[in-house]
Amino acid sequence: MEPEGLEEFIRTLIAIMQESELSELEVEREGVRVRLQKQPPPRVTEVVAVNPAGAMSPGRSDAAAPPPPTVPETRTRGNLVEITSPMVGVLYEAPAPDAEPFVKTGDEVEPETVVCIIEAMKVMNEIKAETSGRIADILVSNGEAVEFGQVLFLVEPAQE
Amino acid sequence: MFSRILVACRGEIALRIIRACRELGIETVAIFSEADRGAHYLELADHAICVGPASPSESYLNVARILSAAEVADVEAIHPGYGFLAENAHFAEVCESCNIKFIGPSSRTLQLTGNKVEARRLAGESRVLVVPGSDGAVAGEEEAVEAAHRVGYPVMLKAAAGGGGRGMRVAHNDISLRTAYHAARSEAEATFGDGSIYVEKQIPRARHVEIQILADEHGNIIHLGERDCTIQRRHQKLVEEAPSPVVNERLRYEFGRAALRVARAANYTNAGTVEFLLDPEGHFYFIEVNARIQVEHPVTEMVTGVDIVKEQMRIAAGEPLTLTQRQVIVQGAAIECRINAEDYSNGFKPSSGCITEFTVPGGPGVRLDTHAYPGYTVSPYYDSLIAKLVVYKPTRQEAIQCMRRALEEFRIEGVKTTIPLYAQVFQNRRFVDGHFDTSFIDSLYLG
Repeated sequence: MEPEGLEEFIRTLIAIMQESELSELEVEREGVRVRLQKQPPPRVTEVVAVNPAGAMSPGRSDAAAPPPPTVPETRTRGNLVEITSPMVGVLYEAPAPDAEPFVKTGDEVEPETVVCIIEAMKVMNEIKAETSGRIADILVSNGEAVEFGQVLFLVEPAQE
Repeated sequence: MFSRILVACRGEIALRIIRACRELGIETVAIFSEADRGAHYLELADHAICVGPASPSESYLNVARILSAAEVADVEAIHPGYGFLAENAHFAEVCESCNIKFIGPSSRTLQLTGNKVEARRLAGESRVLVVPGSDGAVAGEEEAVEAAHRVGYPVMLKAAAGGGGRGMRVAHNDISLRTAYHAARSEAEATFGDGSIYVEKQIPRARHVEIQILADEHGNIIHLGERDCTIQRRHQKLVEEAPSPVVNERLRYEFGRAALRVARAANYTNAGTVEFLLDPEGHFYFIEVNARIQVEHPVTEMVTGVDIVKEQMRIAAGEPLTLTQRQVIVQGAAIECRINAEDYSNGFKPSSGCITEFTVPGGPGVRLDTHAYPGYTVSPYYDSLIAKLVVYKPTRQEAIQCMRRALEEFRIEGVKTTIPLYAQVFQNRRFVDGHFDTSFIDSLYLG
């Protein structure tokens, strides 16, 4: 495969990955194998322990944790992040009437996680979390009419 | 009659519509942007839905969001008020296809009246004199010059897709015309998405006289007399009155007939206004049709006793007009001042901020249409109109006296307003005598 063709091949695969819910993709073509893997943003789950002598002992944390993705105009309630409606419409908690809801209280979410559908003018719009953390509270019910700016979910943000 | 409608506008006109609906027993659903959240008039609606952020394109001008709110609220009709989507043929069409009644003319009529060149053609075909000018949009600079030579300078360059006094330029000679033509074209393209320009003679010492029309969906069409809106600045009306001090019964009759001919040609339904220029010799010329309820409708309501907004609802609900032409009687004199949050002594710069004092005038003959109150924040996102002060008395002289004292009573602090300007207008000899033309305000303020 030519270098330009390879670059384009990889870009296409990245686009496919981003548009889908795949977390891993491996493709072989013309003798070239490309493997893509989606990494969730690293989260520190343990505090660095300090021993009585004052020296720091290494914890099981990711030393080089990148900053959490910036969310434009994040609204917070206390330390909880609000997921607000970007439109007027009818909210559905699940992809289909008899399906499981997209999220339940306690579920982990990432920016790309679909948390609900809002139907406006016969179009089903997938609403993404646009934040990382755990669903702390769901403030709306299935089939409820929502307005622009209405708070739908409260998310306990992911800790660094 | 409708049981529930959506009010797709904001501010004083939204309040006006909500008031009419409350009296008619119609449930109202108001929409608002984040900038209008908390406005007191919203509490008078039965429901209020936030449709978007402050930016008009994402709220009051956003067809999808507004229709979505209409669907969610399950309304039967939408009143678009004035401004924003009120004359948007596409919006009216979308309403029609969603089976929601648009309280106004049909989308087809809006298309006709919205194109000022088409409207002129319609008037010409209705044997109504139009302001002399180009025969349609000019194809280029040379055609503009040719039209100007034919009708004589000075001329106005106007956008076919414009209206409401926007997108207009004056030229006094070939050189300024050529420059103005190109500027007008690009401005029209940018503002209205259509760069078509037509040329009109600028009528010297003209007065702006407009006729209020009402047409139902059963073929009945009447006019409610004229309004004189000559007191303007940069083609924006400041003071309006009914009747016009220079229009007698005979002229009113002629104006009315002309307006109805144009309205019929456009298959007009619901409320609207046909605008004319009246020259000192008593000839009048058609300018445009405003296919909406207008800001200055109160002065017509006062002198005729007709509630125009209620008539709009009735017409849209399929009812016939509540009165015939013969039953229209113009009585007394009404004058309106548009109180804008502007610094009139500083180029009429818009003034935004929190209103700290709002002491309103009252007493016999005073009507105030306003959405403002102490603590209300005038935001910079929308137009600067905060109140319409209307007076109504048996004679024009008494109306002027009433307006003088009402202006003195009206105290607004926190934002600059045009109240002091009107205080001067109502002391001005020429205004009081009724002898003024469209250059009046400029002559007061440009020295």
